[in-house]
Amino acid sequence: MLNDNKRSRALLYAGIVAFALFAVVPYYWVIRTSFLTNIAAISPDTGFIPALGKLTLESYTQIWDRFAFVTFFRNSVIVSVAATVISLFFAIPGAYAFARLDFPGRKALFYTAVFTIMFPWIVLTIPVYEVFYFLDLVNTIVGVIVALSIFVLPQNIWLLQGFFRQGIPENIEEAALIDGHNELTAFLRIVLPLSWPAVAAAALFAFLTAWNNFLWVFVLTTDEEVRTATVAIYYILGSDVLREWNVLMASLVLLVAPPVIFYGLSRRYVGEGLGGTPG
Amino acid sequence: MARLELDDVTKVFDTSAETIVAVEELNLDIKDGEFIVVVGPSGCGKSTTLRMIAGLETVTDGEIRLGDERINEKSPKDRDIAMVFQSYALYPHKTVRENMAYGLHLSTDLDGEEISRRVQEAAEMMGIEDLLDKKPSSLSGGQQQRVATGRAIVREPSLFLFDEPLSNLDAKLRKHMRTELSRIHAEVGITTVYVTHDQEEAMTMADRIVILDQGMLQQIGEPKEVYHEPVNRFVANFIGSPSMNFVDVELERNSDGSGTLVGEDFSYEVSSRLLQPLDPGTTEVEFGIRPENVTIDPDAPTEKSIETTVDVVEIVGSDNFIYLDLAGEEFRVRTPSEIEPSEGETVRLTFDEDDVHLFDSVSGEALVHGLPGADVSATAEQSDTTAD
Repeated sequence: MLNDNKRSRALLYAGIVAFALFAVVPYYWVIRTSFLTNIAAISPDTGFIPALGKLTLESYTQIWDRFAFVTFFRNSVIVSVAATVISLFFAIPGAYAFARLDFPGRKALFYTAVFTIMFPWIVLTIPVYEVFYFLDLVNTIVGVIVALSIFVLPQNIWLLQGFFRQGIPENIEEAALIDGHNELTAFLRIVLPLSWPAVAAAALFAFLTAWNNFLWVFVLTTDEEVRTATVAIYYILGSDVLREWNVLMASLVLLVAPPVIFYGLSRRYVGEGLGGTPG
Repeated sequence: MARLELDDVTKVFDTSAETIVAVEELNLDIKDGEFIVVVGPSGCGKSTTLRMIAGLETVTDGEIRLGDERINEKSPKDRDIAMVFQSYALYPHKTVRENMAYGLHLSTDLDGEEISRRVQEAAEMMGIEDLLDKKPSSLSGGQQQRVATGRAIVREPSLFLFDEPLSNLDAKLRKHMRTELSRIHAEVGITTVYVTHDQEEAMTMADRIVILDQGMLQQIGEPKEVYHEPVNRFVANFIGSPSMNFVDVELERNSDGSGTLVGEDFSYEVSSRLLQPLDPGTTEVEFGIRPENVTIDPDAPTEKSIETTVDVVEIVGSDNFIYLDLAGEEFRVRTPSEIEPSEGETVRLTFDEDDVHLFDSVSGEALVHGLPGADVSATAEQSDTTAD
């Protein structure tokens, strides 16, 4: 007979396993389908776990042959990295100012910045397009970079100001002032090195947000040369009457791979950064 | 090393919601090499005062001079000061050695050899030589405190500032570090301003104590002076532990100048010597007596004693703290440990007229002290060992 404690533990684990499966199965399905032929992908005979002999890299080679995926990925990497760097360049001093300085309109400005995170961006697509058209930035990589930098800036400011507020004791900066720094050098030499984990976390989220952005890139680009991978998938999805699920899933796997790798590399810092403890 | 003067220094925090006067027209003249402890309850302005001296807060009004030079507008790094924070504020990404050397690297042009010699010297003084290559996060609170103090010493500044440096340590370590800091001050002889909320720290360490309340200077004086001749009820209450007993009494005068303090449940005869400095019209006063000056004596004469009931007896080992009920108010007595009345027992308390303090019942100003200006060293010793 199980005692109460053991039984509730068993139930707990059963529940966790059920939820985990529920969450993981779609991802499994994506990967499974990406390694099948087009016919096998939609055949009911293939089964949940396909026989080893049915697995093939055909869909991946097809992507390589049929689409300019190298261009799309190169564009994605360029715009995501550039947007991350540019937004951090403005977000770090901005967030620090929000966290530490007391200036008129600080609250109003901060809430405006945070509010834009919750704002339904689709409402803005037409005015944004107008502005970029006026600036002659439509259908250019630079235009996409500018757009995505602006898009990820508020979340960076929000993340970093929380860290500056809670993660860096003001006394440390004051000690630096007494030790011989001025406000600027104290920030650059003491605060910034200590903020490294938070900056890494913000960079990761900025990269992911920029990488996954569909709407603005879709609105601002029409040419294949400036298309990002995220938008390219939409064209693959919408391009055939008879959908090639294996090709679609393979491109999805490719699309998700860089952010996952990026996350894996920066995970060590991200946990610390969100935990709010320095160094 | 330098003299520090504060001249009508005022600090007003002007937020959109309210205006707070944190420090009001504070005047201090701190001699070269003096150890000054600024003490007061939270929010009394003591930390703000220290931060103004450090240059971490602007001065709203008045002047701060260090070594006869106005420093109001100087940035912290140009003031030739070193500060120890309550949180220690060590740089977490630097080793102990780097923490200590950092200020010297930034603000002096000493060569690396000289800097490491001075770091070594300060580390030896603080007993932290074997911690020099560790990061602050791997040190205990007491060790971090030593490093923070070492970082200040190594600078050899004109002025040391301490902002409640021992508050984060446990009681035993705090007492140990107290002695240690006094020893270091004696060794280096640098003018020191030390802020604490702990009156015991103030009494044991200070050359002179500055007592603040609500941004205003209450009294400045040597520990014995503030203990024996508090200028008002606030100081009398704040200094000493357990704190002084206060009882509202009416003053009845006899024709020969002597009189009687009449409380709700007692009366106590006092001589003309005590009452002589008082304004003849004064009839209502607040009388104060320290718990350590009261004795329990069943044979005391009625006109010189108070009869009350014991509420609680606290045994601390060296002494007993006895809490009594005097007309609904708590009355505290500190007795030697062998005197241990049972709770609920009625006892007779007596005290010497020399230990009585009288305060204005409205303003709280001290009117008369039983023993003004007398040699009081014996009793001052006792106050130094007062429990936490």
